[in-house]
Amino acid sequence: MPSWPEKTKYISKSTLRIDAPEKVTGRAHYASDIQAAGWLYGMILRSKWPAATISAINLEKTLQVPGIKAAITAKDLPQTVRFYGEEIAAVCGATKQACLDALRAIEVTAHALPFAVREDDAKKDDAPQVWDGKPNVSVSARGSREQGAVDQAFPECAAVIEGFYTTPVQLHNPMETHGNTVSWTDDGLTAWASTQAISASRDGFAGPLKLDHSQVRVITNFMGGGFGSKLNGSVEGVLAARLSREAKAPVRLMLTRFDEALAVGNRPSSFQKIKIGALADGTLHAFELDNYGTPGISGGDVELPQPYIYKVPNSRVKQAHVAVNAGASRAFRAPPHPPASYAMESAMDDLAAKLGMDPLELRLKNDSNEVRQREYKIGAEKIGWKEKYQKPGSSPGVVKTGIGCAGAAWGGGGASKRTQGDAQINPDGSIEVRLGVQDIGTGTKTVIAVVAAEMLGLKPEQITVKVGDTNFPPGPGSGGSTTCASISPTVFDICANALQQLQTQSGIADARGNNWFAACKKLGVTPLVVHGQWQQGDPSRPLSSSPAYGVQFAEVAVDTETGLVTVKKIVAVHDCGLIIDTLTLESQINGGIIMGMGYALYEERVMDDLSGVVLNPNFETYKLSGIGDVPEIEITLLNMPERGVIGIGEPATIATAGAIANAVFNAIGARVYSLPITPARVLAALGKVPPFTAVKP
Amino acid sequence: MKAFEYATALSTDSARELVAGNGAYLAGGNDLLGLLKEYLVPGPDILVNIKSLPGLNRIERGENSWIIGALVTVGEIERDPEIAKVFPGLRDAASEIASPQIRNVATVGGNLSQHSRCWYFRHRDTVCLKKGGDLCYARNSENRYHSLFTGNDCISPVVSSLATTFAALDATAIVLRDGQEARMSMAGLYQKAWKEVAAHNSLNPGDLVLRVEIPTARSRSAYMQASDKHAFDWALVSCAAAAEVVDGKLNQPRVALGSISPVPHQVEAANQFLEGKTLDDATASQAADMILAGATPLEHNGYKVPMALALIRRTLLKLKGEA
Repeated sequence: MPSWPEKTKYISKSTLRIDAPEKVTGRAHYASDIQAAGWLYGMILRSKWPAATISAINLEKTLQVPGIKAAITAKDLPQTVRFYGEEIAAVCGATKQACLDALRAIEVTAHALPFAVREDDAKKDDAPQVWDGKPNVSVSARGSREQGAVDQAFPECAAVIEGFYTTPVQLHNPMETHGNTVSWTDDGLTAWASTQAISASRDGFAGPLKLDHSQVRVITNFMGGGFGSKLNGSVEGVLAARLSREAKAPVRLMLTRFDEALAVGNRPSSFQKIKIGALADGTLHAFELDNYGTPGISGGDVELPQPYIYKVPNSRVKQAHVAVNAGASRAFRAPPHPPASYAMESAMDDLAAKLGMDPLELRLKNDSNEVRQREYKIGAEKIGWKEKYQKPGSSPGVVKTGIGCAGAAWGGGGASKRTQGDAQINPDGSIEVRLGVQDIGTGTKTVIAVVAAEMLGLKPEQITVKVGDTNFPPGPGSGGSTTCASISPTVFDICANALQQLQTQSGIADARGNNWFAACKKLGVTPLVVHGQWQQGDPSRPLSSSPAYGVQFAEVAVDTETGLVTVKKIVAVHDCGLIIDTLTLESQINGGIIMGMGYALYEERVMDDLSGVVLNPNFETYKLSGIGDVPEIEITLLNMPERGVIGIGEPATIATAGAIANAVFNAIGARVYSLPITPARVLAALGKVPPFTAVKP
Repeated sequence: MKAFEYATALSTDSARELVAGNGAYLAGGNDLLGLLKEYLVPGPDILVNIKSLPGLNRIERGENSWIIGALVTVGEIERDPEIAKVFPGLRDAASEIASPQIRNVATVGGNLSQHSRCWYFRHRDTVCLKKGGDLCYARNSENRYHSLFTGNDCISPVVSSLATTFAALDATAIVLRDGQEARMSMAGLYQKAWKEVAAHNSLNPGDLVLRVEIPTARSRSAYMQASDKHAFDWALVSCAAAAEVVDGKLNQPRVALGSISPVPHQVEAANQFLEGKTLDDATASQAADMILAGATPLEHNGYKVPMALALIRRTLLKLKGEA
């Protein structure tokens, strides 16, 4: 049975991204850079009402705007609008300005309806219904369960704490916005898409437009991030296609930053009322969660896997969806782990304080996972837990320091077992490896080159990697941290098959390395094309597996007068089986931590209850971690080649918010129960904010 | 945005003529283009580039006062080694504004004349009081970034950190108005925003900030702000203080705050209280209490009170050379 080589030249070492020169010189063409011959700009008119019935849309004046080539409605009328920003119509034209003018010339006849954009408003008995005839609140059977005897167990505990931990709706905000350039002619449809899944994107065109899959080609040479929000077909893609058909020209329809806040996904909020108790020795004994959250208008997941990585013999979990008039949620990097980790890990530290225990000890006592046990010990050493841990709130002075930690698990999907690929080996020794996967910025192309180079005894730069085209053999969507674990065994298999055939054809016993070119030369004039697919490999030393485990430690300084939290250091200890490329792996972890830090301290979609709009559809007030905020990040990787390849994209972001929140608690001795932990909330937790007494008019 | 003509003015007279009617001056453009792109103001028919007006990009370093031209960029203030010595508070204020890229194009005149950052005002689909609507949404909903003081129904605060600092330094803005040079204190430059919902400063259409004159009478100055983030973020509260310190005692002290009122927030009684005092923690705290007296927090901005108190104390103590 095949297994990874024990001695490696490139695998588990650091290889620079093979496409770095293209990216830094601007030769890399993203979806938003595509300039197909005769292309037009496309734009979408969005609802300015959070709820409305649209009875008429007049496009007459729009079509008269100079430069406008087509204008369409998004849906058949009457259209029921359920959130601010819902698509109403679309136009395409020769210039951006023509499109902007055209959008303003569209006449919409709408009847505004009552709405509820905030969870607490939507929960009220007399709240307007987001979906007619359906209550806004629906208890989730899947998210509700009970085991043991909870009500008996709490009185048996030596310490019990209760807390109401909340997390906001978080926006994906990839650097490249959502969008496509689409050309739809009688010959078929080609889309240059900013997508995490070219196959699903193809289906997302073919289905609604009633085209055969064979008529649709999706190309994604480069794309600028998605974090889960670009896994499927899209309204904006279909609108671009329809515009292209009508205007008889390729249409580039990229969303604006404003649009990104409204209609292309988000992480649901959570409002977690947690009660947890432990016996005198710290053993977790009873747990209760009452949680609700909103996936906007969608039925998306709000169910949290609580009590997360801990086993509590007596537990009761009740969870509910709350529909609000806001954009639908989508998968968002490690759904739904970060809110679960934040709240559970916060409750753990609050419980430790009540027990008078060191919170790290409480974790080691209750976390049965051996990998995390190792990781906690390594991380504690790296952050200096013994020297730095002090009782919550005992740090002296105005600017107080603290440390905290949190754990993560990611089962994810492991790998997509249907992943396939091929390679063309030319008589001159050049080789092209082709997979219908896409590189979402994580280094997928580099991973392919590293694996192929290792297997064939070549250098990564000698491998030409082609991905991001539905004409290639099918690959996985890049979600669930499955990409690396899907493609690495596939490339392994392609290379094994290639060597076998090459050796047979050439008569050279070992075609690798120094013999490669001589063997290829013997192919004569016909290139060798070989196919490969994902393989499990030797079950005792699989080529890929799951899950991944990780822990993170945070050290913070909190200014108790201004409330500002400064993250001084993050220590991240992660396991991801066999490391393919250490450099891109560490980049993934850096990115996950920086994103987790944004979740902890800065990010929050703000809805206005009076107008129903998203109030912060920009980077001015939807605040993201900036370079001035990012701390020293120290990464330790457990390399466990015997487990095979495991993805890291998601596990890297799960524990960050919990670790930071606990470090803040350790510093100031008061819990901030809501993310993001803003200066306003820190000052409030410290009891420094005067009570607000005025009555709302 | 609405289509417009574009012209470059080579003299203040021609700038005035070009802008008369329905024009707008264009310097750094940071504020103006945002307003135009979102259709937040009635679009001008002509943008008048004033970057070529002679003399307005100069810094004149006099013994009793300095003159900073309206076209001097925020980045130039940040990097000027002499400003760092003579007006350290001004340098610190400049260094906190936006990002290095924006500071390189943002001008002193533009920073002073910029419009409200209230997220209801800036939103394309809300018609708030300031935009002629009949409701201040912020007052009734999301007011975490808004004022603790106001003289009208709008609660959007002044966000110019240069104005805050100029106020503490008792600087004067020289404004071209109807062909004449009008001198305005910082209080004067903003007083209309205190009373009038639609105003964000006292400038009339066609008025042009030419320069700012800063007396050198206060050799100590300091600026501090508190934000949600460490860089490239607006101040939640900003504070500037300036004074001469003679034998350890304050002379002509002035304190001003930004982001808590439609005008740079100054309390004359507190300035007088500090006169002749030796700075210590208790004195600074007393002054801070006087400055925040009468603050009326809303549902979500009460945190600005303790934050402002701390900033005032810290900024004042910084005048001593202590943080």
